Amino acid sequence: MKTLRFVVVVLVMSTTASAQWLKYPTAGIPRTPDGKPDLSAPVPRSATGRPVLSGLWRPSPGIVGDIARGLKGGEVPFQPWAEALFKERRANNSRDDPTARCVVGGVPRSDFVGYPFKVLEPPGMVVIMYEAVHAYRQIFTDGRALPKDPNPNWFGYSVGRWDGDVLVVESSGFNDNVWLDNAGRPATEALKVTERFVRKNFGQMDIEITIDDPKAYTKPWSVTQQLVFQPDTELLEYICNENNKYFEIIPKQTER
Amino acid sequence: MKGILVAIALVSLATAAPVAQWLKHPTAGIPRTADGKPDLSAPVPRTPEGKPDLSGLWQPAAMLIGDLAANLPRGSVPFQPWAEKLYNDRRANNGRDDPTANCIVGGVPRSDAVPYPFKVLHMPGGLVVILYEAVHSYRQIFADGRPLPVDPNPSWFGYSVGRWDKDTLVVETTGFNDKGWLDNFGHPATERLRVIERFVRKDFGHMDILITIDDPGAYTKPWDVTLPLVLRPDTELLEYICNENNKYFEIIPKKTER
Repeated sequence: MKTLRFVVVVLVMSTTASAQWLKYPTAGIPRTPDGKPDLSAPVPRSATGRPVLSGLWRPSPGIVGDIARGLKGGEVPFQPWAEALFKERRANNSRDDPTARCVVGGVPRSDFVGYPFKVLEPPGMVVIMYEAVHAYRQIFTDGRALPKDPNPNWFGYSVGRWDGDVLVVESSGFNDNVWLDNAGRPATEALKVTERFVRKNFGQMDIEITIDDPKAYTKPWSVTQQLVFQPDTELLEYICNENNKYFEIIPKQTER
Repeated sequence: MKGILVAIALVSLATAAPVAQWLKHPTAGIPRTADGKPDLSAPVPRTPEGKPDLSGLWQPAAMLIGDLAANLPRGSVPFQPWAEKLYNDRRANNGRDDPTANCIVGGVPRSDAVPYPFKVLHMPGGLVVILYEAVHSYRQIFADGRPLPVDPNPSWFGYSVGRWDKDTLVVETTGFNDKGWLDNFGHPATERLRVIERFVRKDFGHMDILITIDDPGAYTKPWDVTLPLVLRPDTELLEYICNENNKYFEIIPKKTER
């Protein structure tokens, strides 16, 4: 029953359908002789030999909404207050979810939603354009360090460096309003997120994510998000504030 | 006087982040003078294909912010009568029905004429992306030879395609919904809106967007404005989350008879 309610929450947050109806052939991707995208083709590489991460990607449905579904090595190592808050959010149908007000999901939550995102690699950066809430995120790969005293925000501040064929992205500078996922796992300003982007072939990429937030969790914990390349389609315009029904529906289902 | 003050108030209210950019980081690869300062009068940078590279962090010059028609002779916007009446209503009621008060994206050309910078990413293969600080949103321009879609889903940013006319990127956008405002002042638009933007990079530090508004549903003929942009070196986009602590509806309705 709780699971059903959770599904409702996710659906309510959907102002666009999951199916992408914009059809346009993606240029320059490998195709089989019958013209279909060849998602098992090798990893594409840049002139310098590094994997190219660019493309339109969609999180595999497996751990959309619940980041701990992909957890390695057992339970989430909550601090007691964080576990109590998580349970409260589950019990009250996430009525205080910041994204219900159309605030951006942040990191890593925006990677765990049922919408695609486009990765671009302009010089010195990796940019992720999320369909969800029509927001974007910048990852600086030009060698700069993380800022020492950043303005706390939802996406944090992200820098990336290459470790062999893996792009390692470190983010910090989050505010303490962030939820790690739709299910409501808490985070604090002490949150540090490490994401390792591993492109496995043309059509598949993993993000190995480590959550390190000593104020909310007793030790770092890691999950892997699997992404699938989305050929021959495009991002849709998801404007969350247009006709947002969250507060009409959810409070009716929940005792306040 | 009242109109101008109210307009300033409106612009300020729509502001969740201050205008000053406080993130300091030297922009890599830009021309500098002997003393290390950015050389904004250096020549236009070019892509490997020889076209002007439009990339960079740009800020609209102040003059057209809020009112797209600010530089036109008074009374020269060729309104249809209903559109002029609606525009006057919006000016009189302090823009209380402004969709961006609900934190919806500004659209085209409105997102280009706000007091926030935006970053242009000019990608190989013909994609131009604009990352707007305002409402933390983005727009894609497909300059890869594709045509405009025949029956697009109406949207706030519309659907944009670009082509090069010598050194000018000519962007054509259609597929708008009929709720978009052309600017903060409330110049109306309909689903028949077609916007042409000609991006002309004049030197390293300056770019003009020559904008044509062609909407026979709201105007009797197309009209043109020029929006000057200035490059912003050594800083970055801030995270502008409009829905966080939005005070618009607490303040504006009190000032306006409903």
